Amino acid sequence: MRQDAEVPFFFGPDAALFGMYHAPAVPARRAVLMCPPLGQDLIRCHRLYRQLAQSLAEQGLAVLRFDYHGTGDSAGGSADVDWERCVADATVAAAELRRRSGADRLVAFGARLGGSVALAAAEQARFSEVIAWDPVLEGEAYVGELDAMQAALREDASRFNQPRSHSDVAEQWLGFDIGETLRGQLLALRVAPASVPTLVLDSLPDAAGARWDRIVSRRGKVATIAPPTPWADLERLETAILSHPLIQAVTGRLKEVA
Amino acid sequence: MTREEAHRFGRARHLVGIAGVPEGVRGETGVIVLNAGLVHRIGPFRLHVELTRQLNAAGYPTLRFDLSTLGDSAASGGQQTRTQQVCADLDDAMKLLGERAGCERFVLVGLCSGAQNAHMVAATDARVSGAVFLDGYAFRTLGYKLRHYLPRMVDPGRWARRLMRGAGNGSTAAVPKAAPQPVFAVAPAPREEVIADFTGMVERGMKLYLVYSGGISNYFNHARQFRECFGKVMSHPAVTTRYAAETDHTYILTGDRARLLDGIGGWLSHNFPPANAGRHP
Repeated sequence: MRQDAEVPFFFGPDAALFGMYHAPAVPARRAVLMCPPLGQDLIRCHRLYRQLAQSLAEQGLAVLRFDYHGTGDSAGGSADVDWERCVADATVAAAELRRRSGADRLVAFGARLGGSVALAAAEQARFSEVIAWDPVLEGEAYVGELDAMQAALREDASRFNQPRSHSDVAEQWLGFDIGETLRGQLLALRVAPASVPTLVLDSLPDAAGARWDRIVSRRGKVATIAPPTPWADLERLETAILSHPLIQAVTGRLKEVA
Repeated sequence: MTREEAHRFGRARHLVGIAGVPEGVRGETGVIVLNAGLVHRIGPFRLHVELTRQLNAAGYPTLRFDLSTLGDSAASGGQQTRTQQVCADLDDAMKLLGERAGCERFVLVGLCSGAQNAHMVAATDARVSGAVFLDGYAFRTLGYKLRHYLPRMVDPGRWARRLMRGAGNGSTAAVPKAAPQPVFAVAPAPREEVIADFTGMVERGMKLYLVYSGGISNYFNHARQFRECFGKVMSHPAVTTRYAAETDHTYILTGDRARLLDGIGGWLSHNFPPANAGRHP
């Protein structure tokens, strides 16, 4: 692999966003923007995102991985993460990817809330397609899930010698400070269908295809990935999420529509 | 003000890291943060980002980076053992921070396998003048076993529950608690070797800060165990120890993390006071 084909850099206003650009061997006609999930999912998916980016670059696509404000290596504290800003950052990243790659046609990929960001930013960022892996469509249920895991964490005997106080675990989700703004934004989140073709990759444990109907347009489709991904398993909170079937599904899809 | 710089660096340009260089700072002690387990350079729950930025604000140049084959870093391509690779990666990291901020001496910070890697380099590289080992090497001592087993043996409730289980289903076998996934682990090393390393480090003037958490209670369970494990070198003035019984291994709670960062910041400013302290709010 050409080491210099993967370029770490800062970009955007005040050079505050971190990105990793994967350049293909020859100039690309298409590019892929990889929108990360938030919180611990971002850390768990880091390796998989890198593997997928490398596979896509080998396929001749230009790829940009990046971190939103307040996440990963980008500027800002974890408590400053803001949904609207994540969507805006995805648009800034899309412009940066177009500038670096010279490709105008951009596909967005995202896991969990990264998929939701990709769908929400589709129009503004002029994506030609969105590939969303287990995207979060209804924020209220997702917030409930995180709150329940955080409550269970307080008395997780495999982690703490003694249960922790309620104040010790307050205003956090699984390792990260959560501002009131983000909580409110996610509670109100109801992702609208994107105006572009959408592929949903479904690996949720209790798979029920009907739940995606609302966002998959006439030109879109749903594909199931096995085995299920343990997104919400407290015991595997610090275990990386790796999925060869996911990489095959995304690379396969982008070969298909080349 | 601090600017963060993204770098691809190293002998094979295979390493990726973020250098934080406070404005106007040259020649201060540089702080290098190593990967914890397989987590990429931002650290568990972004611990390394918070740590390096807090230290930048206090006037220290920093580098958080991915060792060969971890995070965004690739393999160097050479035929080296893992130990040689880690030492060479740290050599690359020290050279980078030397170029960017004029650092000539360094403090290494590592959690778990990061502590083990930091230990390995600190034991052999004269440029390393301090180290922070978070849940690094430890050994189950007699004291550990007494503290662990004695309360269980004299707990009548425990015996009653055991007897009840036996009477109830005809079996005395307890159901084992599901073990968490072994994501983080420190490989064992001979105790005498570890003690000799610590002794060598303090003899050559290094300062050490050992912080062990309640998250490793399967082999460490009391502040006294530092001395039980490593002997009199733990009482050397160059060594500071702290046992944080209430916290977990990766500091998942933000309050625990803040106390850890304050502890590291305080230890650094005491042992490696920056010449420009206070200039970087």
